[in-house]
Amino acid sequence: MKKINANSALKLLQQNLVLCGILVLIVVTAIVEPKFLGAANLNNILRQLGPLPFAALGMTFVIIAGFIDLSNVGVISLVGVLTMGMISFLGQVGALIFGILLGALLGYLNGLILTKCGAMTQAEVLFITYGMSSVYTALALLYTKSETLRITSSTKPYTIFTTLGSVSIGIIPVSLIVFLIVLVIMHFFLTRTIWGRSISILGGNKDAAFLAGFNVEGTMRLAYTIEGIMAALASIMLFSRVTTATATSGSGYETNAILCVVVGGTTLKGGKGSVLRTMLGVVLITMLGNCMNMLNLSTYMQTIMRGAVLVIAIWLDNRKEL
Amino acid sequence: MENANDYILEVKDICKYFPGVKALDHVSLSVPRGVVYGIVGENGAGKSTLMKILSGVYEKDEGTVIFNGETIEHTTPIQALERGLSIIYQEFNLVNTMTVGENIFLGRFSLNHGMRGTHKKARELLDSIGSSINTNSLVGDLSASEMQMVEIAKALSFDSKLIIMDEPSSSLTSEELKKLGIIINQLRDRGVSVIYISHKLDEIFEYCNIVAIMRDGCVIDVKPVEELTRGEMIAKMVGRTIENEYPPRAHFVGEPLLEVKNLNTRKLHNISFTLHKGEILGLVGLVGAGRTEIIRAVYGADKVKGHETLLEGKPVRVSSPKQAKKAGMALVPEDRKREGLILPFSVQNNITLASLSDLTHHGVVDSSKEREIAERQIEALGIKTPSPDTKVVSLSGGNQQKCIVGRWMERDPKILIMDEPTRGIDVGAKYEIYVLMNKIVEEGGAIIMISSELPEVLNMSNRVLTICDGRITGEFNPEEASATEIMDKAIG
Repeated sequence: MKKINANSALKLLQQNLVLCGILVLIVVTAIVEPKFLGAANLNNILRQLGPLPFAALGMTFVIIAGFIDLSNVGVISLVGVLTMGMISFLGQVGALIFGILLGALLGYLNGLILTKCGAMTQAEVLFITYGMSSVYTALALLYTKSETLRITSSTKPYTIFTTLGSVSIGIIPVSLIVFLIVLVIMHFFLTRTIWGRSISILGGNKDAAFLAGFNVEGTMRLAYTIEGIMAALASIMLFSRVTTATATSGSGYETNAILCVVVGGTTLKGGKGSVLRTMLGVVLITMLGNCMNMLNLSTYMQTIMRGAVLVIAIWLDNRKEL
Repeated sequence: MENANDYILEVKDICKYFPGVKALDHVSLSVPRGVVYGIVGENGAGKSTLMKILSGVYEKDEGTVIFNGETIEHTTPIQALERGLSIIYQEFNLVNTMTVGENIFLGRFSLNHGMRGTHKKARELLDSIGSSINTNSLVGDLSASEMQMVEIAKALSFDSKLIIMDEPSSSLTSEELKKLGIIINQLRDRGVSVIYISHKLDEIFEYCNIVAIMRDGCVIDVKPVEELTRGEMIAKMVGRTIENEYPPRAHFVGEPLLEVKNLNTRKLHNISFTLHKGEILGLVGLVGAGRTEIIRAVYGADKVKGHETLLEGKPVRVSSPKQAKKAGMALVPEDRKREGLILPFSVQNNITLASLSDLTHHGVVDSSKEREIAERQIEALGIKTPSPDTKVVSLSGGNQQKCIVGRWMERDPKILIMDEPTRGIDVGAKYEIYVLMNKIVEEGGAIIMISSELPEVLNMSNRVLTICDGRITGEFNPEEASATEIMDKAIG
C-alpha cells in the first residue's frame, strides 16, 4: 500500500514537473533575492511575456503534427519590417491585417514547399525550414538595406501598436490579454475541432492517417499556416514593445519557442501535446530568464542554462515512455 | 541428478513485473543441447518478455538464468551475443543500405582483416547453410527469406550455441518456410539449439522436438512434441477447448460489386478482377508477388493511372484513400502498428478515426457522439479494454486489430480490404475476426482478403485468385481445389 502511494506521488510529480519547477524557482529566487517578488519585478515578468508565447503557441501546432519549424526567425523578422513599413501606406489597421495575412502566407508557403518536396521526416523539415528562414531574413535585409526601422518615423498614426506594446490594464499588459484570448481560441481549436484533431492524428501516425482517408498534405499545410500566423503575431508584439524592427529581430525565437514547447511537456515525437502545457513552459522559461537576471548570471551562463533545461526536458520525456 | 552440462540454457523461477502486471510468473525452462525447442502461447503469454530477458533487453526481477553452465546475473544484448546466444527478431535487425557481408560482420570487420576477408568469411557462412545470396548485394534488395538467412549467418558468425527465432515464418511463403526447416535441422545436427517461437502450430509439429506452452506469464506444460495433439496444444494455450479454428463458410455471393480492369504498374501486369456482393475473395501469392500492390492501387493509396474501376457497374475514380472511403471502401492494412493504429492515442480515438468527419458540426467534434461510437464498437466486437480512454498500445494484438476493424465497421463499408487480417493474433481472437468477416458479407458487404496462411484462405474465401510476379495466374473455388493445386499456380 505504501509502495503504491509512493509510486503515485512520483507519477504526479512526473506529470506536473513544469509546475514543480516553477514553484521551486520562485521559492529559491525569492529567498536569495527578496526583490524578486516585488511589484516592479512582477510587472517586468508580465511585460517580458510579450512575443514568446505566440511563437511557442505556433510551434506547438507544428510539433504536435510531428514536424518542426526553424523558419519563424525569418517570418518574425520579415513580417516585422514589412508591417512597420506598411503603417505609412495602409494605416495602422491595414498594416496589422497585412502583417497577419503575410504571416499566414509565409506559413502556408512553408507547408506548400515541404509537401511539394515530399519532406515527411523531421530532418528534412528541419533543413528546409532553416533554408526558408534564410530566404525570409535575406528579403528583410533587402527591404531594410540593413537599417533599423523606427515606428516613430511612420507618417500615419500607430497607437494600436504602442497600446499593444506598452499599455497595461491594472498590472496586466494588453499584449497578455490578447494572448490569453488567442490561447483559449487555439486550445479549443486543437482539442475540439476536426482540424485540430487532424493535426494530432498526423503527428500520431501519418501512414495510418493517410489510409484512414485524411488529407495528410493539407493538414500539414494547415499546421504551418497556423505557425505563420502566430509568428506574425509574435513579430507585431515584438516591434510594438521595442518600437523598432530590424532584419534580424526574430533571431533566437525558434530555439526559445521549441524550448518552451518541450519544457511544457509536448513530445518532439508528435501526436501528443497541449497549448496549455506550452503556456506553462513559457512561464517557466521566462521566469528562469528573469531569475537568472536577478541573480546576476552572465548572458553566457544563461545560454548554458537554457541548453541544459532543453536537454533535461527531452531526457525526461523519453523516460516517461518506459 | 542430471548433468547440468546437458542443457545449454536453464531458466529457473524467473519473474518479471511491469506496472500493474506480472508478465512472467516463476517461469522455469531447460533447453537441452542440439534440440529445437518450441515455445507457443497466445499474445501476451510472456514469450517475448522471456526472450528479452535472455537477450538482455529487460532485466529480470527474480530467478536465475544459467547459460552454457554459467550463471548469468546481468547481461546486455552484445554480451549475450558474445556468449553465444543470438535472437532473430520478427523485424530483422539489419542495415538495409549495407551489403550482406557487411551486415553479417557489422562492427567486426577487423576480425577478418578487412573487407575482402569479411566477404570471404560471409560466403563460407552462407554456404554452410546452403544459401547462395551474393555477399555484395544490398540487404535492402533482399526478400524476407533471404534477410533471415543473413540473420542466421550472422548468428553463426558469433559461434552461437543457442539461436532464438521469434515468429520466423511470419513473412515467409510456404516454399521459403521449407528451406528454413532444412536449415533448422542442419543447425540441430551441428549441436546448435534453436528456440522456435511461433503461433503456427503446424511448424511447431514439423520442426520442434520439445514444446513449452505458455499462458498468462506461466509455463503450462513442457512435453516432447509427439506426446501432444494439435487440439491439446490449442486447449492448453487458450485454457479452453476450441472446437473449430474456422467458422462455417459464408454463402451469400450475389451480383458484381467492384470491377477492376487493366491495372498496370511497373510491378503489376493486366490485373482485372471482379468482386461480388457477399463474397470473400482471397488473394494468394508469395510475398512480393504484388498482392499488397494490387489492393493499394485499388484503394488509391499508391498513385496508379490507366486502370478502370467500376462500382456497381458505374465507373468511379479512386485516386486517394479519401476517395476510396467515399466510395465505400475500407482497408485493414498489413502492418497494424505502422499503417493502422495511432499508437499514442486512446482506443476511442483509434476507433472513431475514419468517422471523425461525420460527427462534427461546423468543424467541432461532438464528443458525446464520439463516445457513443467507441462504446458501440467495443461492445459489438468484444474489444477487451478497461475503458475507451485506454491507450491502444496497451491492448493485445487481437484487440488492436479489432479496433481497426471497428473503425471501418462504423462506416458500414461495402468493400472491406484486409491485408493479412490475422497476422500475429492468437487463436481465440482469430476465430472472432473470422466470425466478423462472415457477418460483414452476410450484411451485403464484400471482402478482399490477402493472407499468407493458406488454410485461412481455403477455409474463409468463396473464391481464390493466385498472384505470381504481378499477374493473376489462376482462379479457384476453394471448396473444390486442393492446396497443392493453388500453391502450384501461386509459385508460377
